[in-house]
Amino acid sequence: MPRESVLLKVCHLYPDLLNLYGDRGNVMAFVRRCRWRGIGVEVVAVDLGDEVDFREMDFLFLGGGSDREQGLMARDLVRRRECLREAIEDGLVVLAICGGYQLLGRYYRSADGRTIPGLDLLDFYTEAGASRLIGNVAVEVVIEGERVKVTGFENHAGRTYLGRIAPFGRVLAGHGNNGRDGTEGARYKNVFCSYLHGPLLPKNPRLTDHLISLALRRRGLPAELTPLDDGLEAAASEVMLRRLLGPGKA
Amino acid sequence: MRVLLAVLAGKIVAWLVRFLKRGRGSSLPGLVALKIHPRLLSHFVRQVRRGVVMVTGTNGKTTTNNMLARMVADAGLRAVVNAEGANLVTGIATAFIRAASWRGRIFCDYALLEVDEATFPRAAAQVRPGAVVVTNFFRDQLDRYGELDRTVALIRDALADLENVRLILNADDPLVAQLAATGHAATFYGLGRHAEVSPTSTAAREGRFCPFCGHALTYDYYHYSQLGNFRCPSCGFSRPRAQVEGEGVFAGARYSRCRLRYPGGTQELVLGQPGLYNLYNALAAFAAGLFLGLDPARMAGSLSSYLPATGRMERFRCGEKPVLLNLVKNPTGFNEGLRALLHLDPPVDLLIALNDNDADGRDVSWIWDVDFEMLEGMQERINLIFCTGQRGEEMAVRLKYAGVPLGKIVTEGRMEEAVRGVLRASGSSACLLATYTALWPVERILCRYAQRERAPEGLPSLS
Repeated sequence: MPRESVLLKVCHLYPDLLNLYGDRGNVMAFVRRCRWRGIGVEVVAVDLGDEVDFREMDFLFLGGGSDREQGLMARDLVRRRECLREAIEDGLVVLAICGGYQLLGRYYRSADGRTIPGLDLLDFYTEAGASRLIGNVAVEVVIEGERVKVTGFENHAGRTYLGRIAPFGRVLAGHGNNGRDGTEGARYKNVFCSYLHGPLLPKNPRLTDHLISLALRRRGLPAELTPLDDGLEAAASEVMLRRLLGPGKA
Repeated sequence: MRVLLAVLAGKIVAWLVRFLKRGRGSSLPGLVALKIHPRLLSHFVRQVRRGVVMVTGTNGKTTTNNMLARMVADAGLRAVVNAEGANLVTGIATAFIRAASWRGRIFCDYALLEVDEATFPRAAAQVRPGAVVVTNFFRDQLDRYGELDRTVALIRDALADLENVRLILNADDPLVAQLAATGHAATFYGLGRHAEVSPTSTAAREGRFCPFCGHALTYDYYHYSQLGNFRCPSCGFSRPRAQVEGEGVFAGARYSRCRLRYPGGTQELVLGQPGLYNLYNALAAFAAGLFLGLDPARMAGSLSSYLPATGRMERFRCGEKPVLLNLVKNPTGFNEGLRALLHLDPPVDLLIALNDNDADGRDVSWIWDVDFEMLEGMQERINLIFCTGQRGEEMAVRLKYAGVPLGKIVTEGRMEEAVRGVLRASGSSACLLATYTALWPVERILCRYAQRERAPEGLPSLS
């Protein structure tokens, strides 16, 4: 079914500021996979100080940056908190990666013991660790009742501990949230948080399509998607799963 | 006694590596010798007659250092050089071991050392260089260094700890130019305004903010990435005046040229390599040469006949087909490599070899910061794109999302097959781009099917 008349609004927060580790690839993947199916998409880039109403958006991407950039973004987001909270409660589809993920929680406790408040939208907190958790990761994620293996690359000093909130997935290989409890990321309503770079969405098309479906459903539109040829993505994922989990487990 | 043992062990390892044909042995002898004598570098450096120059920064280290080595050699002076990008402490030690006698004696005027950014603090503390060249800072292999800010801070702190050192700094890069605040005497080099400057920068910009006060920098123009004529509207930090400046810049398909202005004169410079970044490398080497007291006219001559090191825009010929081989290791360099496609005879077949060993960067997500989207605008110029290496499949995914049609993407895990494939494909020319550890295997295979072009032919005469 051609759906050019549909126009999903993709909000890319601070694209100039938070462009570490190729995370902009997440926005590219969402947009491409919509357009390949004839679903119209518009990307709205929001910079520091710009006006935006998150409730009008269909997909929000929040990436990570260096410490300085992260500080700038936190200051800017604090004044938008209420608007973001309402949108999230209303089912806005959000992908928050690494620093963007940490920011949605209650607080970040730095190595020197200072507590930096988060937006307190989701029930988790993060503490700085002595070493960075770095490496390739495989996570098992449940998408629409089906177990899917998701791959990516983590690189974070923060250890995140979840409160009353579900993880994004279960670690099969790698460190995940804190290297201890086997959880990776967090999930609340249509908000997906993860430490995985890679970037996450282009490498994991099942997840991307799930986010697109959720966005369509929130608008009251039919959410079944035309299947695409994902041979290249599957091959790339298999290479990493075989390396991390051994042959036969991919 | 310990020195003798260390040098002997290093030399034996070097000989064994060569005898067994196990790689090129540009690091292992140093690794072994340093295990025996951790302060071995200081022992060697004391014997260098005139002084040590270190070259660091993200891109252009190898080329700049090799250009400087060429100028020093042409001046009839002897130098120890760590060639081939072996730029960790082990590689530096290996270079000295190779140059040393069996008794650990070194007879040379200079040591010219390119040094990895993360290694710089440790190497500088041991070597105490007389001059340090800093080329530029771009985002590079983040999982190895942490974020760029930290890399720059590491080098700044290491420089602050040195005494009696001359800095040779890129005036156009705010992240580099700020290093003059360490208080050392500095020579700046840079490019003047020219026809190709851009009012905007499309690349992922690292130096967006003033390193001193954090305010966003403003630019009159950009050369590329964050290199340009910058100024901080808040604290007044701005591009310093360059003592060595390239004027009347022309960066063409097969060569680049400019007029070098320096205190006391000008020289015409013609390089057998394309691209603004090669002009930057030449300016850096020239500025360092001036500090060493080399003759400017002779330096310009050395630069004009300089041939690039392996994989730095090296030209080959496979039958009639021109082939370009280039090392890619970060988004800025990769973008430059892709732009070179515009100068090749279309249609071009492309090979990209992506590995994810430590030296390549274990996190391959950096390929998403490369502007592959530019390929969409030159689709009719491109025939096939072969993706190979440990993460070739990942590369194929990147191309797909850049809008490259699936029919043009060939994933071939076997490197031999991939190189043969790109050479046999129907295009008029071929371009091979490889990350660090993929470069040597690709080159080895390429050399079986293609001839290296030796003389930089077709350069315009200076007269």
